[in-house]
Amino acid sequence: MEFYLGLLQILGVHTLLGLSAYIVLLTGQVSMAQAGFYAVGAYLAAACTTMFGLHILPAILIAAVLTGALACLVGFPALRVKGLMLVVATLAFGEMVRLFFFNLTWQIDRTGELVGPNGAEGFRSIRFFPENGWDTADVAMFIWAVVAVVMALLYWVDNTRAGAVLRAVGHDETAAQSIGLNLTAIKVGAMAAGGAIAGLGGGIYAHTVTHIEHGVFGILLATFAIAYPILGGLGSVFGTLIAVVFVQGFLVEGLRFLGDWRSLLFGALIVVAMNLRPTGLLGERMPRLSQLLRRRSAAANKLNEAD
Amino acid sequence: MKFAKFAAVSALALSAALPAAAETTIRIAGFGASSGVVGIFGQNSGAAMAAAVEKVNAEGGVTLADGSHAMLETEYYDDRCNAEEGISVLRRIATTDAVVAVGPTCSNVAEPLFGILQAHIDDGGDTGLQFPIFTDVAIKGGLAGISEWVFRNTPSEAKMYDDLFAWLRAEHPEAKTIFGGVEEDFAHSRFTWYSVMKTAAEAHGFEVVGEAQWLVNDTNFSNQARAMRRAEPDIVAISAHPFTTCGMLREMSRQGVEPEVLVGLTSSSSLETLTGCANEAQGLTIPTSFAPVNDAAREAADAVAAKGGALDLHSAAAWENIMILRDVINAAHIDGTAESLEADRRKIRDALASMETVEGLLGTNGRTAEGESIKPYVFVSASGDAWEVVHNPDS
Repeated sequence: MEFYLGLLQILGVHTLLGLSAYIVLLTGQVSMAQAGFYAVGAYLAAACTTMFGLHILPAILIAAVLTGALACLVGFPALRVKGLMLVVATLAFGEMVRLFFFNLTWQIDRTGELVGPNGAEGFRSIRFFPENGWDTADVAMFIWAVVAVVMALLYWVDNTRAGAVLRAVGHDETAAQSIGLNLTAIKVGAMAAGGAIAGLGGGIYAHTVTHIEHGVFGILLATFAIAYPILGGLGSVFGTLIAVVFVQGFLVEGLRFLGDWRSLLFGALIVVAMNLRPTGLLGERMPRLSQLLRRRSAAANKLNEAD
Repeated sequence: MKFAKFAAVSALALSAALPAAAETTIRIAGFGASSGVVGIFGQNSGAAMAAAVEKVNAEGGVTLADGSHAMLETEYYDDRCNAEEGISVLRRIATTDAVVAVGPTCSNVAEPLFGILQAHIDDGGDTGLQFPIFTDVAIKGGLAGISEWVFRNTPSEAKMYDDLFAWLRAEHPEAKTIFGGVEEDFAHSRFTWYSVMKTAAEAHGFEVVGEAQWLVNDTNFSNQARAMRRAEPDIVAISAHPFTTCGMLREMSRQGVEPEVLVGLTSSSSLETLTGCANEAQGLTIPTSFAPVNDAAREAADAVAAKGGALDLHSAAAWENIMILRDVINAAHIDGTAESLEADRRKIRDALASMETVEGLLGTNGRTAEGESIKPYVFVSASGDAWEVVHNPDS
């Protein structure tokens, strides 16, 4: 059970990472900065609990707000460019963040032990959960409560005018601008929301692994962040969740017994999945339950007629 | 008639199978990086564990509390040198009937992994995982202090390099300067240069005239080698794993950088370095806690080779860990049943904590109160296609 609860924790934090890229992708922007925001959230939340003795909840909220503000600041200059130039610009930001933490040493004495980020050595003893009596099940429930809130908010946004506006910008910027939409505000808003979600995810991640270091927040993590919503499909928030389960649950954990072959299969299966479902596992539009039921009853009717 | 024959054969097969089914086995899990850039370390550890378990079983296995004997079993899990995966692997192991785990390979996995364990034994307020870990490879200093469920069988680099530079001072009195090359993004190599090699070199009167940094995935070392050439050091110390050590050595050779002494990282005293760049590595001197210098070490090396691995200072620790755990299990009087699993894990932890000295392949290993080990070591130098012992501090 311990293993499955731990796996639920991993799926939860990766879902938050994927959702942070999802909202930016809705506006048609490919951001490789999500790993950087995730790192900022991780270090901020870890500092709040280990260095200043805060509870995990205010810690991750502070991390989310500050990371969202940083994403907003980054969004203004970064979103002046598009396409590949934006990818390069956000990638550069992500690397800048990683190198910042690579060089950051800021430790304070707490109960006789030095705590805080220590450059390339990383940030040790982020042990809020075990030290406060949270067992693996409590942590998994907490993470999924946060994921549920974020998913519900994004689902709600997706089904309101705001969601339509985000998608309109993503589909055709010129057409969106011609009907009076403020592209800069919309893109920067999405970037800020994505940053806040990444900060939230990073903050929780730091506490589940108890030790963070710059190397974790590199290009690979940034690639995973945008791969989740692309693989899952931009039709709905559930696509990202399904992609996270597919990648982390099946490809990483399920195929662990294959050793070196796992890495080879990992890429091959993603290529196969993208070929079979070019618009993502759930497609560009979320199939509605009523549609699915109608399709099923239509198929049943045809069978009956054939009989 | 046919049915009677079938029933008789079935009964015979069942009776033959019964003792085997009743035989108790004690599982020791291994985990680490057996794929990816440092995958060779995990593959060697897995082979060493398998060979050691085979030897223990051939000698009768382990003795349980009721006096009966049990065979050891081992299985190796891959964490790809990734912290998140390492934690997941340990949680998976904890759900099996394994009584103890040997691993991990990478220090950047060890640090978070030890963090999810209960920090202090019997601390009811700490919900960390209660599972004993006996680390073979991850060598970064001081990590056992993170949790009282952690024990390590890795050498003290601080002591080894202090002795090495003292020896170099005596052997090469004319050498004055040193240049450091460091694999900057790997916790172990970085720690070893900045906190171990550099400190030891300066303590023994060598002047550091330059430093060059690179990353574990780098393949181009021309700028770093150029900086070395300009500095003209007497000693070049390379704190990097075999893959980039070879890249750096080849580039140094291409640019004609020829220091009087070459010093390497403990982890590079392995077969991979000689396979990758034996010509360029000639004379590379490294302190190591394993070399096939006695019968026991040679026998172990042969047994591991038969399993498809190579015995070096890291995988030798995996071999030693199994032998130590055999003695620990014998002394701990575990029951080896499904019901006693939690109690058995605790008994093994307590037995590991009570160890003061244990026998290793090169001699007696001492233990510190923090769960760290004090291992005998030798200085080896690349000569031809083998590592040759050039100095034994204990002799």
